[in-house]
Amino acid sequence: MHLFHAVQYELMKQHSRHIHNAHHHFALSYPVSFSQRIYTFFLGPLAIVALVYLIAHFFPFGSTSPVGEISLRLIIIAAFETSARIAVAYVLAVLCAIPLAILATSNGTAEAILLPVFDILESIPILALFPVIIMLFINFNFLNGAAIFILFLSMLWNIVFTLVGGLKIIPKDITYVAHIFGIRGFAYLTRVLLPALVPQLVTGSILAVAQGWNLIIVAEVLRTYIPGGTAAQDLFGVGSILVDAAAGAQTTVFIESVLVMVVIIGVFNFFVWQKLLHYAQQFRFE
Amino acid sequence: MQPIIELKNVGKTYIGEKTSALHDVSFSIMPGEFVCLIGASGGGKTTLLKLIAGLENPTEGTIRKPDVVAMSFQLGALFPWLSVFENVALGLRGKHMHETDVLRIVDRELRNVNMLGFKDKHPADLSGGQRQRVGIARALAVDPAVLLLDEPFSALDAVMTAELHDDIVRIWRQTKKTIVMVSHVIEEAVSLADRVILVKDGAIDQIFQIDLAYPRREQEAAFMHDVQKIRREFFKK
Repeated sequence: MHLFHAVQYELMKQHSRHIHNAHHHFALSYPVSFSQRIYTFFLGPLAIVALVYLIAHFFPFGSTSPVGEISLRLIIIAAFETSARIAVAYVLAVLCAIPLAILATSNGTAEAILLPVFDILESIPILALFPVIIMLFINFNFLNGAAIFILFLSMLWNIVFTLVGGLKIIPKDITYVAHIFGIRGFAYLTRVLLPALVPQLVTGSILAVAQGWNLIIVAEVLRTYIPGGTAAQDLFGVGSILVDAAAGAQTTVFIESVLVMVVIIGVFNFFVWQKLLHYAQQFRFE
Repeated sequence: MQPIIELKNVGKTYIGEKTSALHDVSFSIMPGEFVCLIGASGGGKTTLLKLIAGLENPTEGTIRKPDVVAMSFQLGALFPWLSVFENVALGLRGKHMHETDVLRIVDRELRNVNMLGFKDKHPADLSGGQRQRVGIARALAVDPAVLLLDEPFSALDAVMTAELHDDIVRIWRQTKKTIVMVSHVIEEAVSLADRVILVKDGAIDQIFQIDLAYPRREQEAAFMHDVQKIRREFFKK
């Protein structure tokens, strides 16, 4: 397997072990106190906001002119539009990653052929493909599609390789049990493979969605990739607002946009990923 | 009476391996027998059990066995996301049985292995011995003609092992099922089985008949005599 994935896999195992240990620790007193969870999951995001605020305060982009500034309400709407874009890309990535991972580990021949192919595809810089993808979607007058597609590609391989790792650690005895009790075909998929993949799917999803947020600025500011592109061709979202705010020296808009983005990511971590990580423990093989 | 399991000149060579894991293995097992396959690690006893289970196919020879063969695995091999109840019901779910029948069978088998009070628990909440009992209940739930046990005591402490020994003998005598167990502990084989097959270097080395009454006690002279007899052959080069 590609060195990067080997490292990623090891990191994930350590991460999983940490979560596993944490689970056992929490098992005595779970749920942990609300203040403890707030502290754990919001401290990092709040530190980022504070840092951005301090940088903007001491090194302002320019005068904070109210002319043409975007309201906080509009930033929140844009952030939700961005979140929807990431969500659609994520769902598509999961729907594609599961069959790809299962196919790639279905037998020795498939593994020998597909895993190196996935490695190569994953190694291709996504942004190098972006101009081509945009031109393709311009033909259909569907620029949102270009952004979703680039987000989808950035998420896909994270999930695929995490799931491949998950499929490889299913104990042989579990597959024997399925065979002996006649669990085959579609029943094997739904009763063995999919449940066994839940912990890796959650871990892979966290990595993938984080990757999506990383790419959001590039994915929404399309004018850079269109010959003679204008700001009108950018997609409405928190990513493009951030770029415009920085370019237009709108410090307040910039800080508000970062704040809204951090709050959305923090809330999602707190109410979705944390719950899913805890839920996924029951699917983990010892 | 016809044998329930019959192996004739069975051999197994894995793809890419130069030497065979098993060669020219022939023996038969009668209905209701308790047979223990013993041998050193890598000798071929687990491969033999997998062939009988239908998990592997022989590369040579023939195996005749009943359709319904169930197996219990070393560490229980329970599905961690299912409750004890659902783990035991695993083999019944594909049979389109009525839920009341599933409930009745699962309750009966859990009671049989003294685990009825744990049916809503998950495997993570169970000890090694309890998981092994649930694995045995799951195998018994499909009413197999033959029950295969792959080193069921390997991960258990002495107290759990002794308790499970007694339970397995009780279940065997109650149900009169044919049991084939793999072990590498001679005392274990002598205390449970009525025939011990020594598997060495991929072949049957010797078959020992154990004619001791149950319950068998390790302190008894006859028990130690049988153990010593097998041990001599076990360690013979």
